[in-house]
Amino acid sequence: MTPSIFEELEIAVIEGDSEQCEELAKKSLDQKIPPLDAITNGLAKGVKSVGDKFSKGEVFLVELIMAGDAMKAGMSVLLPEIKASKAEMKTLGKVMLGTVDGDIHSIGKDIVATLLEAEGFEVINIGEDVSSEIFVEKVKEHSPDILGLSSLLTATMPAQKEVIEMLDKAGLKDKVKVIIGGAPTTNEWADEIGADGWAGDAVSAVELVKQLVGGN
Amino acid sequence: MFNLLGRNEISDIHVASMEVLEQVGVMIQHDEALRILGDAGAVVDDKTKVVKIPEHLLQEALQKAPGRHLMASRDPKHNFVIGDGASYYTNAFGAHYTLDLETGERRLSTVKDLEEFTLLADFYPTVDYIKPHILPQDVSKSIWEQEMALAMFRNAEKHLSLVALTPQGWRDVIKMSMIAAGGEEEFIKNPSFIDTGFNNVPPLKYTPEIIDMILECAKYKIPFDISTGALASASSPVTLAGTIVQGIVENHAIVVLTQLVGPGTPIMWGSCATILDQRYGTAAYGSPENGLIHAAFAQMARFYGIPYYGAAGVIDSKIPDHQAVYENTINVLVATLAGADVVHDAVYGIVEAGVTASYELFGISNEICGAVKRIAKGMRVTKETLAADLIAAVGHEKNYLNTPEALKYTKKHLLEEQWQPVLTERASRPEWEKRGSKDMFQRAKEQVKEILSSHEVEPLDKDVEAAMRKIIDKRAKGK
Ligand code: B12
Repeated sequence: MTPSIFEELEIAVIEGDSEQCEELAKKSLDQKIPPLDAITNGLAKGVKSVGDKFSKGEVFLVELIMAGDAMKAGMSVLLPEIKASKAEMKTLGKVMLGTVDGDIHSIGKDIVATLLEAEGFEVINIGEDVSSEIFVEKVKEHSPDILGLSSLLTATMPAQKEVIEMLDKAGLKDKVKVIIGGAPTTNEWADEIGADGWAGDAVSAVELVKQLVGGN
Repeated sequence: MFNLLGRNEISDIHVASMEVLEQVGVMIQHDEALRILGDAGAVVDDKTKVVKIPEHLLQEALQKAPGRHLMASRDPKHNFVIGDGASYYTNAFGAHYTLDLETGERRLSTVKDLEEFTLLADFYPTVDYIKPHILPQDVSKSIWEQEMALAMFRNAEKHLSLVALTPQGWRDVIKMSMIAAGGEEEFIKNPSFIDTGFNNVPPLKYTPEIIDMILECAKYKIPFDISTGALASASSPVTLAGTIVQGIVENHAIVVLTQLVGPGTPIMWGSCATILDQRYGTAAYGSPENGLIHAAFAQMARFYGIPYYGAAGVIDSKIPDHQAVYENTINVLVATLAGADVVHDAVYGIVEAGVTASYELFGISNEICGAVKRIAKGMRVTKETLAADLIAAVGHEKNYLNTPEALKYTKKHLLEEQWQPVLTERASRPEWEKRGSKDMFQRAKEQVKEILSSHEVEPLDKDVEAAMRKIIDKRAKGK
């Protein structure tokens, strides 16, 4: 039995083969397969399986990132068609991530972003050394379900608090759930500053986000 | 004693590094620094802030950068020369949490912890100079570096390496150090009374604050280490050789800039690079690859005639356990045998790679480092130590415990030949049981408490301390 186009898409993602994903996505359009199906039953399945394996320590970060890239390559072909047909793209939710003012540590935050994407969230990564004002502005602009603040330095942890206070002042605190992370942060710190959650690694960050979004 | 790279490999690494330095360049987000480099003949792109540095500029800078330099201390008996062939050790840097000595509970670090770890570092013979072991959480961030500096000056007579986190804080710390050194004039004559350290942002980038503080060091010729923070497979190539090439370029950019601004400023050319564990996405410092990275950098630094500073004893384990001890041991040993001039993070006393301090582990690591320093000291081979005459005199019937000549000989050479451990249990089993059958952790805990209650340092002169305090108060009031 030859594999279905869905299986082929799934495999291409698992193998992290961006070119193959693009080609298969085009092929699926030629075959008049609804693009949403190609995503849900093909690309997303692949990336989910790699994400699950990463959580169990069975695949390497590099494979996870390449699977994510392959999925995006396929999406770039399919998304315009979805938009054109006015069908609704459903993701698990929208997560915005950034490292706070004065802090340039990026690696941990980026890993959290990659894993969330693999799990089917839309992720907006706004970078490092992001001022509290910009966080508020970007929340206004994109209305994410979750905002994740990363801080690796003792000296920049107060900025996590500041962002939450500023969101509160701007009347946005109820509209977005704020989670925090980074090596020196803790659950207690999260409670103290009124964050909605804390996670100590990327795998638990995904669980946390799922829990918070599910509880909506 | 341990040469990882062959001559051809050294030369290949150098050639690849020069290619990257000249053709890829380094991003330096500081306009004044770019102007200085540009005026000297580097190719600067003002838009991208990338500077490409020709090899001849580097060679000129290396000519000016000292191959060795004195590190001065409050008590001159602790002075030493970095680059004299020995490996000098520091304690660990920067714990946000501390495992409480009484309860074992993980709690926020305090100024008292910083004072105690500094006092212990002053006592432990393996610590040659002292880093801020603790980042205290009970002090306002506006006077953080300043309070830390004062706490350290009050509790040590050894050379201090003070923390530079913000340009404003660092300028205050320099002012305070001038007071401690006996005035501005004294300090300017001998700026190696203190030192500090900086990291880059790999790949190939420097932030404005770091460059600002580096320029401040160059202005006074304050020694500092510049250490690449590359994580192989995340912020540098997965290949160790590729990571070495990138790190060399990152460090060299600062050698060039510094020697243009402050010719002769002592630089320790360093690395806190390691690998990223691809299964968890975490930085793996206690890894064997970390040791190899230090070994290669140490050789390359020697090739460039500049002292090497490697952060080599870092522990990933979350508690002071067996993993902690093996991680500390392997990389301190490798870096030392590879001839690192400074083994930073050697006497570690922290778990979770820089996050949580452990008093007991500090004691244990002092013991480990003592053993490694003994290995580094090597074996004395002279006519006297070969002892052929003595072997003949003792012959076949007697031994070295019942021959007066042999006893005299043993007494004479014992301390040179045999390292005397303090925490290591080598007594007989009955003896060990008699002393309470304690494991090393318990023994370390007792030792730490004993040192804290007995070790004293010469207090700071009252006026000196008051003048330093005044700088802190002024900053606290926001002036
Ligand atoms: C790599 C590193 C660097 C690199 C960063 C490269 C980069 N592009 O990110 C470089 C060399 C540039 C660097 C610079 C500095 N660093 Co640094 N750095 C580290 C190091 C060794 C590892 C950090 C890392 O990437 N870990 C791997 C990732 C995967 O782990 P993670 O970041 O913790 O992220 C995980 C979780 O925390 C969580 N998470 C992270 N973010 C988020 C966000 C959310 C929302 C959630 C839910 C979860 C989550 O999930 C992640 C994935 O599992 C740590 C040591 C340590 N033990 O953490 C020091 C460390 C953080 N750095 C430290 C310091 C002091 C500095 C410098 C100030 C040094 C200097 N004087 O130059 C500068 C800071 C400059 C600045 N303004 O930010 C200190 C901080 C001490 C403190 N408590 O303040 C540490 C602890 C080391 C130490 N003790 O010396 N650093």
